[in-house]
Amino acid sequence: MIELHGVSKTVPSGTGLLTILHPLDLIVPAGQVVAITGPSGSGKSTLLGLLAGLDSPSAGRIAIDGNDITALGEDALARLHGRRIGFVFQFFHLLPSLTALENVLVPIEIAGGTGARARATALLAEVGLSERGHHYPSQLSGGEQQRVAIARALANDPPLLLADEPTGNLDTATGRHVIDLLLGVNRQRGTTLVLVTHDAELAAVADVVVALRDGRVVSQTPGASREASPGLAAR
Amino acid sequence: MGFVLRMAGRELRASWRRLIFFFICVAVGVAAIVSLRSIIQSLRVGLVREARSTIASDVLVQTNRPWTPEVAAALDERLGRAPIEGRSASIETATMARAENGAAVARMVELRGVEPGFPFYGTLALEGGVPYTHALVANGGALVRPELLTQLGVAVGGRIVIGRRTFVVRGVIDQEPGRRVGGFSFGSRVLVDLADLREAGLLSFGSRASYQILLKVREDGVDPLTRDIRRTFRDRFVSARSYKSTEDQIGENLQRAENFLSLVGFVIVVLGGIGVWSVTRVFVRQKMRSVAILKCVGASTAEVLATYVLQVGVLATAGSLLGIGVAALAMRAIPASLAESFGGLAYGLTLSAVAQGLTVGLLVSILFALVPLLEVRRIKPLMLIRGADLTQATPTAGTDGAPPQGRWRAAIARLDWVQIGTATVVGAALVGVASWQAGSWRTGVAVSAGFAGVSAVLYGAAFALVRLVQPLAAAPWFPLRHAVISLRRPGNQTRVILLAVGLGSFFVLGVRALQENLISEVSVGTERGGADMFLIDIQRDQVDGVRALVVDRLGPSADPIRLVPVLRARVTSVRGREINLATPGEVRGQGSLAREYTITYRDHLEANEEVSDGTFWSDGGGPATAAGAEVSIEQSIHDRFNINIGDDMRFEVLGRQIAARVTSVRRVEWAESRAGGFMFVFRPAALADAPHAFVGFLKGPGDATARSRLQFDLVSRFPNVTTIDGREVLARIQSVLDNAVLGISIVGGVALLSGVLILVGAVAMTKFQRVYEAAILRTLGAATRLLMITLALEYAALGLLAGLIGAAGALGLSWGVARFVLDITWRPAPGLLAAGALLTTALVGVVGVVSSAEVLRKKPLATLRAE
Repeated sequence: MIELHGVSKTVPSGTGLLTILHPLDLIVPAGQVVAITGPSGSGKSTLLGLLAGLDSPSAGRIAIDGNDITALGEDALARLHGRRIGFVFQFFHLLPSLTALENVLVPIEIAGGTGARARATALLAEVGLSERGHHYPSQLSGGEQQRVAIARALANDPPLLLADEPTGNLDTATGRHVIDLLLGVNRQRGTTLVLVTHDAELAAVADVVVALRDGRVVSQTPGASREASPGLAAR
Repeated sequence: MGFVLRMAGRELRASWRRLIFFFICVAVGVAAIVSLRSIIQSLRVGLVREARSTIASDVLVQTNRPWTPEVAAALDERLGRAPIEGRSASIETATMARAENGAAVARMVELRGVEPGFPFYGTLALEGGVPYTHALVANGGALVRPELLTQLGVAVGGRIVIGRRTFVVRGVIDQEPGRRVGGFSFGSRVLVDLADLREAGLLSFGSRASYQILLKVREDGVDPLTRDIRRTFRDRFVSARSYKSTEDQIGENLQRAENFLSLVGFVIVVLGGIGVWSVTRVFVRQKMRSVAILKCVGASTAEVLATYVLQVGVLATAGSLLGIGVAALAMRAIPASLAESFGGLAYGLTLSAVAQGLTVGLLVSILFALVPLLEVRRIKPLMLIRGADLTQATPTAGTDGAPPQGRWRAAIARLDWVQIGTATVVGAALVGVASWQAGSWRTGVAVSAGFAGVSAVLYGAAFALVRLVQPLAAAPWFPLRHAVISLRRPGNQTRVILLAVGLGSFFVLGVRALQENLISEVSVGTERGGADMFLIDIQRDQVDGVRALVVDRLGPSADPIRLVPVLRARVTSVRGREINLATPGEVRGQGSLAREYTITYRDHLEANEEVSDGTFWSDGGGPATAAGAEVSIEQSIHDRFNINIGDDMRFEVLGRQIAARVTSVRRVEWAESRAGGFMFVFRPAALADAPHAFVGFLKGPGDATARSRLQFDLVSRFPNVTTIDGREVLARIQSVLDNAVLGISIVGGVALLSGVLILVGAVAMTKFQRVYEAAILRTLGAATRLLMITLALEYAALGLLAGLIGAAGALGLSWGVARFVLDITWRPAPGLLAAGALLTTALVGVVGVVSSAEVLRKKPLATLRAE
């Protein structure tokens, strides 16, 4: 479960302070799929960065499973990311000098897990790429790269998966495949899934859709295919 | 740790190509250090081994005047108390040799008369493997070098005449211990029996000869005896040296040479380090995204840093090993002539040089890579979402409007103390390495301070340049406008290029300027013209005969021979003040007043002299005067020892005390002193009837046959007179100098090559900055030509500034080293420095454009996609 209380983000600009995100409260219960939508510059990515502990809020408190992450240092955050949060990005962000399999191996090795190779191989198979493990990112298509990225995000079996425009760089059919993969992960593992997306199709499958505009939450609605969640609130 | 190792391995697999230049920088530097140091060390090992045979004894006692009964008795008394195991006398003198029947040629030789027992150490190798025994020279035998036989047209068994005595050639010397082929000598060696040498009539009055006693001494007695003789006889011009002091003296010179060359090697490594720094900076920029990803999947900053430091370490090790390989190859490529001139020793890599090269290579690469690598600490995984350029790690916006005080506070808050601390530690470590390599803290600190000074100037110049070109940003010409914008945009490469190129050109031009100074120093005085044959040891009763013979051979129209009386004297007091003697060796080395001077007397000034104070002989210099003895001193004597007109001086001339009053100071143009220059010139009256010899100067015939004919005739008529053929001596000096010049040029060449190589790379590395911009400009319609001009302008401006600052630094460096280290006349070499600055400009401009050619050729979309 993720809890945000009075979280805001302001940055200095030429003339004074610019507010990117106005104070907001948000609770994401475990196991749900939450989509954050909104036009460019509405603060979607900023909100995702804050949720992940990649950025620190100007005010407010963020807790993951009851632990305040705003007080954590860089290395503690790195450990948190490695074990409890998986990331999927719009531009895939695979390590270009490593093969697909090695990209999946890295988080397991960092966490010091055992049976790394077997586990990475199994994950690649799960995303349908067991034949491509020895290929480098530059030798893979966009869809394949994104599947490797998902396998990597799941490497340490994290309870939380954060995805930034995961289909933004893919054609419709490939994007569809990636959405299925992510939803499958949510269903089978009970992984909480938070997505930032422009993609109406993707937003439609979420439990909750949080719409942002100019740094404020303008609506929170249940996704088209699911029931509204009672735990979600916004100020 | 397992992760760090595995990750470093995987990264290296992919990135070694990008880091190949890193690798080359380290290899070049290490190769320089290892080869330069190995050469010197091989040389030293050989010389130490040879030390005993160099002087053929344990202790060598020597004087350049005949043993007086008093000195001989005192010496015998001293030696009687020491643990002497063998004793043998020897005399060495330069003289003339000719064939008894054969070619009418006379050659200058270095004659050595020896007694049984010689040599106590080392072997005199004779041709045909004949073992040397004293019987070979006893009773009129001579051993000679093969070249003399050829020159005189004599074979073994033939007879040669030296002085008034005839010798039978009984063998040919292949190698004499302690005598170096390329070393300077007046002539080839002739070895005879000491008793025969004495009979040859060469040791006439004032002859130049070295009287030696060779001693074989029990090991524990060597040092005490040497010290004792030095102390007891120092004021009687008797010197003593042991094989140990030979070793020390040569060893010290070599140590100095080794440290100097190592320092040159170290500076090359530092240049390599600058290359390493430049590569690592670019590398870190390229790796930012990967670092962010690693941090995103849970790697700590320490783990990421360790991964990259490990890569640097592996590459540095590999580079160092390659450098050692290159050094090994270079050693084989050393010209045989050079090896021979230093005694024909075998050159090879020495273990200690290899160890030092490896250590310095690793240390310098890691030190230089560390500061840019620390940037990875600032990379935040957030960039993966925001796509932000995190080169400016902390937002700088917002401070612009703040009051100045707040701006300062913000600036201080922005300082990265870890990086500053690391840079300080790295700097201190570099000073340490420099001092270690130079073998002295003073030199190490001086060199580091020089580097730091030039770096500071370059850093300041970068700011000044950006300010200075500011108005041009509004220039109407597009390429100029954009070149200026590039120079001052955020995250520009202005400082990096200025630092790398400026330091590089500073060092390369500095070494080059020094090289020119060294070479012009050694070629001074070898220009032709004036007298080129010198006759020494002409006795008074031979003066008329020699003059007549020369007129007879050269004809009455030729320049007559100039005969100059010479005496040896030393100053015993000035204004009644005693001159205290240090040891003769010390005196000679330091140019103290108490050394022995060659003096003359005459009634006129020479063409290369002018009186700067007083009058040259008060009443016109007539021989008869009641004024008492007068002496004219040279300007430098006046300046250095504060001796003035009217001072009374006392001289000891051949045992006689002569008092003289200083009546004039002369300035001698030493560069034109081929006809002789004297510190002290006496008025004729005082010395004319003292016993003395003459030196003759004449311009010999141009034709070589006529020259040797003249030498032969002179020596046949006047056996004790030695003729020095200036041309031959010059040729011999030239061949020694050629080797020195070759050596200097090799070191300079290595420095130049490595410097240029590293500069090219450092500049080429900055192209990654240009790629993206060039691509965008292309999409906006900029033609290749326009982009090239823009790039060329930008790089050339940087090159010019760096070249000028480097040249100015080099000017200072060459002056300082010439004046304080090498003690030679400094020449500014303006042509070289101007050419250097221009070449730097052209080089940086061309390299900048060429290395970006790939960018200019590439379709812009490919570049933009890749970004």
